[in-house]
Amino acid sequence: MQHLTEEQLIAHYYRDGDAAVAEAHLASCDECRAQFATLSDVLALVDQLPVPERGNAYSDEVWTRLRWKLGSDRRRSRVWGTVAAIAAALALAFVGGVLWHGRSQQIAPPRGVIAQRTSTTATTASNSPSTASRDRLLLVVVSDHLDSSERMLLELSNADPKHPLDVTSASKRAGDLVASNRIYRQTATRRGETRIASLLSDLEPVLAELSHAGSTLSPDEIAALQKRIDSKGLLFKVRVVSAQVSGQENVAKASPKGMDSL
Amino acid sequence: MTTDLAVVSRARSGDGEAFRLLVESHSKAAFRVAYRMTGNEHDADDVVQETFLRAYRQLARFEERANFGTWLHRIAVNCSLDLLRARGRADRHYGGDPESAELAGAAGARSDAQQDRLLLSAELQTQVAAAMERLSSNERTAFILRHFEGMPVEEIGKTLGIHVNAAKHTIFRAVRKLRESLEPFVRPTPCNT
Repeated sequence: MQHLTEEQLIAHYYRDGDAAVAEAHLASCDECRAQFATLSDVLALVDQLPVPERGNAYSDEVWTRLRWKLGSDRRRSRVWGTVAAIAAALALAFVGGVLWHGRSQQIAPPRGVIAQRTSTTATTASNSPSTASRDRLLLVVVSDHLDSSERMLLELSNADPKHPLDVTSASKRAGDLVASNRIYRQTATRRGETRIASLLSDLEPVLAELSHAGSTLSPDEIAALQKRIDSKGLLFKVRVVSAQVSGQENVAKASPKGMDSL
Repeated sequence: MTTDLAVVSRARSGDGEAFRLLVESHSKAAFRVAYRMTGNEHDADDVVQETFLRAYRQLARFEERANFGTWLHRIAVNCSLDLLRARGRADRHYGGDPESAELAGAAGARSDAQQDRLLLSAELQTQVAAAMERLSSNERTAFILRHFEGMPVEEIGKTLGIHVNAAKHTIFRAVRKLRESLEPFVRPTPCNT
């Protein structure tokens, strides 16, 4: 008679195997029946392993500690929401300004011609009041954009690459930032602001990747993003350029003529 | 269940009191699974916190057809696994308490009288705990999910990220080790061979 293997006995205990075959064999085989009884007794012993009791106040303790963390989550979410809304409004205003300016230049070319012909001062188009306004607007939106991007890069850099990361809200924010980033990069490139254009160019793939991440980043994806941020010194560059832009923004506020260059 | 779903629905819309009710209903069950998985009260408490935190963040992904308790249970299992892995226990045998191991080793030589006494003593629980400690992280997890939680082998495989056959063999290895450690403590069953 062929006895049941240990694996078959264990499978039978958990009702994972062919119950009818095992039952039939056990009914006619004392040895296997004894083996099965011992196995059952051992596993019954394991059932006696106690789990410490948690009293009725346990859920209150859990909730008390949890509430604080959930509160900070909600606060962070509100801050991000506000930042995103402000950034979107500024981006819209900036784009609107650029379009309006382009249109007004197309409509009134003679004024430029006349100005060139009759120019008696060193005033140029680049430091006209409208240019100064656009400069200030660009400085404001780029400064905010870099602040938001810096916070996001920080979150990623500080994430534990051993665990998946929930990026549900970060992913949405990154989507907004990618759209703004593209506009600012193109504007900076058009205006010859190579330093800012280069930084925004480095920033864009990271933001795009995060915006496509969905709800969770796997440990491998976190590690890859962290590597990309590190290898390009992205966080450092963002901080440096952000500080420079903020400084220029302050100067621009103080000077009615604004800045000729970022 | 209907009550849970209604409460989950309120929690999803940002009702903090509703989420507190979910914590109240499920924290003890979460602790039980976390304790069995980690074998440590403090770790289990941490896992419970992390479980509810993740649940809160992922509430939008909870499918209303599902059972909230089952969904939360899975999160608790994953949080426990993450904790164990973060501590580098994955695929490493638990060292266990040397004293307990010594006791277990010597158990075979105990007399019937001693065994009778042990059957009702707290020491037996220590032996069982020591036997569980000697399982590797995967063996312990697979065994607990099958034995205590009644999870199907296929699900255990998915949870551990291993093939179903590997999950089955992990459970077999765990039971075999437990049997080797604990058989001396169970009354021998008469055998004709």
